[in-house]
Amino acid sequence: MTISHRIRNRLGLGLVAVSLLSGTALAQDMPAPFNNPGDVEIALVRYLSTGDFFQAYLSGVETQAAALGVNLRVLDSRQDAALQADMVDQAIALGVDGIIIQHGLTESMKEAAQRAVDAGIKVVAFDVNVENQAVPQIEQSDRDLARLALEQAIKDNGESFRAGYVYVAGIAPLDRRDETWREFKEKYPGIEEVAQFGTMDNPIANSVANQARSVVTANPDITVMFAPYDEFAKGVKIAVDEAGLTSSVKIYSADISTSDIAAMREPGSAWVATAATNPAVVGEVSVRALAMMLAGEDPGASVIVPPTLITQADLLDKNITNMEELGSNLPQFAHADVATPDWMPLPEGRE
Amino acid sequence: MTETLATTPTARPRAPLNLRNVLIRYGFVTLLLGLIIFFSAMTRGFASPQSAVFVLQSVSITGILALGVTATLVVGGFDLSIGSVATTAMMASSYVMVVMGGDAVTATLACLAIGVVVGLINGVLIVYMRVPDLLATLGMMFLLVGLQRIPTEGRSIATGMSMPDGSVANGTFSPEFLALGRHRFDFFLPSLLPVSVVVLIALAVVIWFFLEHTRFGRMMYAVGSNERAAQLAGAPVNAYKIGAYVISGVFASIGGILLAARLGRGDIASGNNLLLDAVAAALIGFAVLGASKPNAFGTAIGALFVGVLLQGLTMMNAPYYTQDFVKGAVLVVALVFTFALSKRGKR
Repeated sequence: MTISHRIRNRLGLGLVAVSLLSGTALAQDMPAPFNNPGDVEIALVRYLSTGDFFQAYLSGVETQAAALGVNLRVLDSRQDAALQADMVDQAIALGVDGIIIQHGLTESMKEAAQRAVDAGIKVVAFDVNVENQAVPQIEQSDRDLARLALEQAIKDNGESFRAGYVYVAGIAPLDRRDETWREFKEKYPGIEEVAQFGTMDNPIANSVANQARSVVTANPDITVMFAPYDEFAKGVKIAVDEAGLTSSVKIYSADISTSDIAAMREPGSAWVATAATNPAVVGEVSVRALAMMLAGEDPGASVIVPPTLITQADLLDKNITNMEELGSNLPQFAHADVATPDWMPLPEGRE
Repeated sequence: MTETLATTPTARPRAPLNLRNVLIRYGFVTLLLGLIIFFSAMTRGFASPQSAVFVLQSVSITGILALGVTATLVVGGFDLSIGSVATTAMMASSYVMVVMGGDAVTATLACLAIGVVVGLINGVLIVYMRVPDLLATLGMMFLLVGLQRIPTEGRSIATGMSMPDGSVANGTFSPEFLALGRHRFDFFLPSLLPVSVVVLIALAVVIWFFLEHTRFGRMMYAVGSNERAAQLAGAPVNAYKIGAYVISGVFASIGGILLAARLGRGDIASGNNLLLDAVAAALIGFAVLGASKPNAFGTAIGALFVGVLLQGLTMMNAPYYTQDFVKGAVLVVALVFTFALSKRGKR
């Protein structure tokens, strides 16, 4: 008994020495339960998973979970609301310590989240309101996204212009972006919305391109296209290029991906600016907020990941061609200083 | 449903020219002309050669898919997998160029090969495994939706993308390939006619000639109208049916190639909307000129009809859901033309 104590103390000393030398956060520096992170298990319960955004989100969750050293279990309901609720129950039955709910419907997730909280499990929710005081909301601020893009549009085009607007009602992030667009139209009466269109028909870019083609033909005097979703912007760009109006129309959007960067970098591209939150960073923040709760800290009722404005000029000047280079050249895009108590280990390369 | 779709005899005596028959024969074409006049009057810029071209361009991909599905309708079958064949071809061409660094020819051949293989598998499942056509092609649809995502773990393909193993894909879409979606031929006006429209028209003429004016085409109609009789008459029924699915698969993969060339990236998508629009065009085609049977000319007009309607409505600022509503209404009216009116006229 005494020997094992002694050995353990020595080991502990050795570990402290190592941690002092290397300067990295080791398990001993972290509060319980992360002093023994191998025993901590968290579950990510997803509603949406196909597409670049959700892939990147997952990679962020994975890297932050790896940095903490905790076990991650991914449950993917593939847009089945009922299955997603069942998966929360499954996670409760598995006895996980924390759950991240990623998207979903308020109606189906509200009670499932409550059951998890009642079972003593810490829960955070990303982009779904589960109407529960005990569940912090992780948000990418859609209003800020729209605001950044529109402020840039006003900077580039003045306070009055004729605009086309791409919007499909009933999709929560687009609805929030729409609120900002309406505020801007009120604030700047010179902005005239001459056409509104949009569709979520798959492939979205192709369907929107067909619509936008009609719109720019009917309204050749449009100078600004506000397309607050990158698939929309892609479609509008195709249409504007096909109609030969590349030089007279400017496209402002939200979200970004590697192929978006390529489209914005094309010589004379009409797509001049986009506002985006790095989905990988949102994934990291989701895990950090959950970890704070597990350690008994309070991340706050809503954890907002701030967006970054990315202009064509940024991409060209800094020679950015993909998401990795975007992260390394625009540090505010690669890391958000959100939910970062001193003890929190960050994924490699983040400051 | 497959029985009723194609059981009408190919050749039937010309009906006398009373009002109902005139309505059945020319009702849809008149409606199309009326729509064009209406939109020309109501919107700026609809009545122009450019506008005519982009209406055609907007339906070129669904039109090509619709021509393919027409071939399966002719033999009394159906192909639900065309939408996912198109998106799989789109992903495959992107994969060949962006990840494997191949050129335009390789990418195109890979897509066409996918079309042929999927068509063959569909045909074999239906003919030799006796799986009903709707079920076999439904299974193929799900299979392809999943398959197209496996190589990239669900990511869309674009130059500079990170692969699952952490490396970066540095291939690019070759300019020749992109030209398929972006090049425009001079036609009266400089740079007017996009490649996709030319392909649509060419394929429409080819399949129309094949179905109406060759022995093979007429045999396919015979297989569709009475398989047993065709078999007794010595026709290789199984080969014709498999052939129809191969045509459908190849047309769908051509649609996918054009889609990839227009978007310039491999976008993960189910292709279900492509499927529905294509089927709608083919079914509307039944009603054109009172044919009451699947036919290539009708399918092309059906696709054009949907295109005129949607582009016109968009120019008038109609939101997308009203467009779906109108599309549905047109389809219902067309089916009434086909099944109710013309049948009564016949008997």
